[in-house]
Amino acid sequence: MSEKKIKNIFVNGPIAPDFIADSIARHSSKTAIGGHSIFMGQVRKDEINGKFVAAITYTAYEELALEKMHQIREEIFEKYPLNCMHIYHSLGTVKTGEICLFVFTSSAHRKPAIAACSEVVDRLKVELPIWGKEIFEDETHQWKENS
Amino acid sequence: MEIEIISFGQITEFINNQKIEVNGIADTNSFKQYLEDRFPALKGIKYKLALNKNIVQQNTEITNQATIAIMPPFSGG
Repeated sequence: MSEKKIKNIFVNGPIAPDFIADSIARHSSKTAIGGHSIFMGQVRKDEINGKFVAAITYTAYEELALEKMHQIREEIFEKYPLNCMHIYHSLGTVKTGEICLFVFTSSAHRKPAIAACSEVVDRLKVELPIWGKEIFEDETHQWKENS
Repeated sequence: MEIEIISFGQITEFINNQKIEVNGIADTNSFKQYLEDRFPALKGIKYKLALNKNIVQQNTEITNQATIAIMPPFSGG
């Protein structure tokens, strides 16, 4: 099927709502699709020991992350009858309330799109070498840990 | 033998990216021992190595000019 073509998933800074809207709009010509599933991760204003998170700064081991993402993508396409799948993750600083992750899956009927979207999000949080540094309002920081 | 070390996440706060010249380190287990002796702060952290962009799952031989990444638990998404 697909040759090994490594797609970039990284976006500098937050993922703009307009980018997400455009991404949806571009699928209107793909008329075999009957269902889309979208997950968006947003930076939460967590309170930790009386201090509020103002932003998260993301860094990654990019080459390894992209290779791993490629592998996950192939496995998901193997497992579910999807028409397409798009994944974007921020690097650099994303403020609270902004979007840092956008996963978009499409299929003829809704169930594969929903299941694949959820599985991709679960897997990328565990398997991709990406790190989030939570920056507090007073400019101190702590390293995020995925629970 | 020359090894390039690259660090990520909180580990960047005490290990800089650097090239080191070492002798007598044949595999990733002995490299871990070397790292923890040289950077005691590592002992308190869960971390994984990637040898030439492959995540190390079991003890693996290290050859000259290897690049080894030191990675704390991932926290993307």
